Amino acid sequence: MAGRWQWFHRLGSPKWFYEKTTRWLPWLIGVMALLLAVGIVWALLFLPPDYQQGHTSRILVVHVAVAGASLSFFPLMAVAGTVTLVWRIKLADMVAKNAAPLGAWFTFLTLATGSIWGSVSWGTWWEWTDSRLVSMLFQFFLLLGVISLRTAIESAETAARACALLSIVGCINVVIIKYSVAWWNTLHQPPSPISMEVGSPNGPEFWVATAIMIVGVYLFLAVSLILATRNEILERENKAQWVRELALRSR
Amino acid sequence: MIRASVGAAFRATLKRDLLISVKRRNDILNPFMFFIIVVTLFPIGISPESAMLRQLAAGVVWISVLLASMLAMDSLYRSDYEDGSLEQLLLSSQPLYLLVFAKNIAHWLVSGLPVILVSPLLAYMLSLPADGYLTLVASLLLGTPVVGMLGSIAVALTVGLGSRGLILAVITVPMSVPVLIFGTLAVQNSLAGGSPLGYLALLGAMLAAAVSLAPVATAAALRITLN
Repeated sequence: MAGRWQWFHRLGSPKWFYEKTTRWLPWLIGVMALLLAVGIVWALLFLPPDYQQGHTSRILVVHVAVAGASLSFFPLMAVAGTVTLVWRIKLADMVAKNAAPLGAWFTFLTLATGSIWGSVSWGTWWEWTDSRLVSMLFQFFLLLGVISLRTAIESAETAARACALLSIVGCINVVIIKYSVAWWNTLHQPPSPISMEVGSPNGPEFWVATAIMIVGVYLFLAVSLILATRNEILERENKAQWVRELALRSR
Repeated sequence: MIRASVGAAFRATLKRDLLISVKRRNDILNPFMFFIIVVTLFPIGISPESAMLRQLAAGVVWISVLLASMLAMDSLYRSDYEDGSLEQLLLSSQPLYLLVFAKNIAHWLVSGLPVILVSPLLAYMLSLPADGYLTLVASLLLGTPVVGMLGSIAVALTVGLGSRGLILAVITVPMSVPVLIFGTLAVQNSLAGGSPLGYLALLGAMLAAAVSLAPVATAAALRITLN
């Protein structure tokens, strides 16, 4: 029994996480930089203009990737919250704490890139009849709620568990909001079927660039979250022996 | 030690909360008056013409109900927290889920029901066509308990915090959006000659989900914040 759960508890040790990520980070950052560079250069310079949307379709390469990543925050925070509530693993809360502002920023970027694209393609910056815009806005509000709850509660322990509960409730709510808002007649285009033929609408030159961008943005999310969590670890464990040794060594 | 039955504890909590509300009339009266005042602002602010108001009526009543319930939420658990009786609830041997549920029901009876009872009158003042009354009241009867129980989670998470007004709003407003959508869609649908039953069924489903899940979350939240 003890052996089976050992990996789980080792994973929850801030020291183990810090040491492992020190080794992983250069690789993650390298792959991320490569993918983002290839994706952006491809989208901006080499992607042929869309037969309907013209040059504005280049924005979609970024928008789709950021939007996909921003949808992963509530599930991530809900899982981290469950781990916090059930096993009281501190590392899960450190991840959840930093995921909230990062998620709010990603959601904002999704709304911003979507608006910029919409201002050209739909002729409007904001459209209430579009369900995804509206549900994204409410996800943004809910994330702000999680952040403000965290700052309002003084005790770190209470704040961690309260935010964990709110993330779980919020995760369920985001799904309900998404489907209920979709009952409105929506302007947002349905996901386009991908095509294997070069030159066709949504052909490989478009979706391969988008796929590269999606993986790149997810890596960016992971790297940002890891860096923020490492800061959090150093701050919270500043009394621990290994953190002091680390500080002495880096001087 | 005499151990009371679960049902008796449920009834006692319900009775206690209702009694307290009757003695403290402001908690009943304030949301009620707030609701009426907010509704009267819409014709003045937007347009007094009945053709325009007819289209807005359902949404105006629903939004005002949401605002009034948010005002009412502030008093939920506050005095219980201040005089320590909330901690007694946590310490009691009865399931906290049921006690919280009883408090939610009492709160809805006091702050939600009066607002619903007066809503047809205000809908009339906003010249809502006669076909819409029954659906409006039915949607409010199904929807406001959901809003109240979701709000109860947020109140429990922020109990004891000094400045919690904005946090409450930021948490509860997005959560109330589905209720608002289906509530107003039901009324609009029955005005257009269709059947509102589909939307009312969805509101009923949300009510069933809220009754079974929200008090559990509220109980968990109270255990966290009061630890």
